[in-house]
Amino acid sequence: MLIKILSMANIGLKTENVEVEVNVADKGFPGFGIVGLAGKSVEETKERVKTAIINSDIEFPTAKITVNLAPADVAKDGSAYDLPVAIGIMAAIGELNLPKDKAYFYGELSLDGSLHHTRGVFLLALLAKEEGVKNIFVPRMSANEASVIENINVYPVDNLKSLVRHFNGEKFIEPLKPVNVAEILSDITPEFDFSEVLGQQQAKRALEIAAAGGHNIFMMGPPGSGKTMLARAMAGILPNLTEKESLEVTKIYSLTGNIPPGGSLVRQRPFRGPHHTTSQIGLIGGSSNPKPGEISLAHRGVLFLDEFPEFGRNSIEALRQPLEDGYVCISRALGSVTFPAQFMLVAASNPCPCGHLGDPKKECKCSGYQILNYQKKMSGPIMDRIDLHLTVPAVDVNNLMIDKEKVSGEKSIDIKKRINEARKIQSERFKKLVHIHSNSDMKNSHLKEFAKLSDEANLLLKQAVNKFSLSARSYFRLIKVSRTIADLDKSDIIKKFHVAEALQYRVRGEN
Amino acid sequence: MYKKENYNKGKGGEEMAREFLLKKGFELVESNYENVIGEIDLIMIDKDFLVFIEVKLKIGDRFGIPEDMIDKRKLSKVKRVAESYLVLEKKKVKKFKKYRIDAVCIVLNQDQTIQRITHYENIY
Repeated sequence: MLIKILSMANIGLKTENVEVEVNVADKGFPGFGIVGLAGKSVEETKERVKTAIINSDIEFPTAKITVNLAPADVAKDGSAYDLPVAIGIMAAIGELNLPKDKAYFYGELSLDGSLHHTRGVFLLALLAKEEGVKNIFVPRMSANEASVIENINVYPVDNLKSLVRHFNGEKFIEPLKPVNVAEILSDITPEFDFSEVLGQQQAKRALEIAAAGGHNIFMMGPPGSGKTMLARAMAGILPNLTEKESLEVTKIYSLTGNIPPGGSLVRQRPFRGPHHTTSQIGLIGGSSNPKPGEISLAHRGVLFLDEFPEFGRNSIEALRQPLEDGYVCISRALGSVTFPAQFMLVAASNPCPCGHLGDPKKECKCSGYQILNYQKKMSGPIMDRIDLHLTVPAVDVNNLMIDKEKVSGEKSIDIKKRINEARKIQSERFKKLVHIHSNSDMKNSHLKEFAKLSDEANLLLKQAVNKFSLSARSYFRLIKVSRTIADLDKSDIIKKFHVAEALQYRVRGEN
Repeated sequence: MYKKENYNKGKGGEEMAREFLLKKGFELVESNYENVIGEIDLIMIDKDFLVFIEVKLKIGDRFGIPEDMIDKRKLSKVKRVAESYLVLEKKKVKKFKKYRIDAVCIVLNQDQTIQRITHYENIY
């Protein structure tokens, strides 16, 4: 008997319907085969399904079982076909009656017949909504991901037995109650506070501007001056995720299996700090079945690259295109995949290999050649894409002595309040535009409409461009940063001193 | 010691399969054919087919069903021996145009009586 079950395949973030055709034939030598461009993990489905069905006290048929995953020209991978295959076999041998309404089945089986947390359930829910399919059956541990999508019934499945009882009308599974997205996105307290970082007022201000507009920032300073601490504290002042942004981030996190069992939407802006030995593929994304890299996992959040020049040259230069476009296109034999990568780059580095170049107290021990080589890693095209350049000077340890009375800085919560307000102005400004959420996302064509400069500011900008011979890209980026500074100031028009402040971060100090 | 026992058991299975297929109208060509590559339990004629038959016997179901014991590897082994047979015994096979691989699975009760005997045609 032939049974057809609906499920899903994905290439990158693109999803597609997959029809799982299960045929249990009376004739022929008994066996179990899966066809339809199935990967290694799908091959293993056979063993899991067989054992799970037997352990659910259902007799596994001694018959020729053929499973086809259609369309057969789309590569399938992952363990999510366990559930549709098991349901197909049980329906074919008459253990359960499938309903007439279309439904998606998706999930990995455990050997005891229960269902494991499976990645990609959020994508399945989006596909169901798009296709107009009302019901989806997914593992209970992953069901919360889907419950934020409106107009579909999400059935959380514990094990095969409960599903059999559900379809035979013995005991129905209650669909999950839909969850309001806005409710989930409440405040979360930061783990690291800005008030713990002493001094470095200029750096804090620059980080505030960067967080408010989503601008890239580069910090240079001697070892121990607090660059890493500042960057880590930044996670606490990042503006709240908006509803739209959260859905975008959740899509990527569901695909990569980064949502913990029982988890729902991603509520906090991602903060990724990959080690400098990370490969180019790990950073940008790739492999033969393209997977998102760190830059996509940092989408709508922060990508913190500590010890920036220690990263491989290839990895650094590969950041160029995503930094400009906000997405990355990966082409492999299987096809071409686009992942969003609208991240804020926070990079930190020492000025030279020994770290003390330009330090008033300590002598630099590096040769000119060494310094040249070190700074060559931070190439012009990359530095040109960074809006805020910052020098973090060494802190006088005398001011940090434990017995001294400390003047504690501003709390992260207060800074975050200002940033959230600035972001609110921005989302109001860009509410008609689909993929633009912050000032740094603006395309050059938007500047005329959204970033009005006062005459004085315009004049200053012109002078600066000529004096420092800034590139065209720098010019536009300068305006965007000025826009953010004006937003923090709650000013509608960009004034002269806004541009002046932006300029001060733009021009890199010559050593 | 145990090997010998299993060997005799297997021989018994082959006999049962032969009787079963002869009753079905098959003609015997060779029993227990062996060459350097391996062996084939039965070679028989079914109408215009030359049939190579793999026989599996199990006593009780404590160690699974005999069908499970015939996997891809076993099948390709049978196929290779069958192909070598076609090359080595050209005179005998000249009149056949069609060939086939079958399996006969036998399950015995503990008291050596037959629980079931199943014949699968064309399993390759």
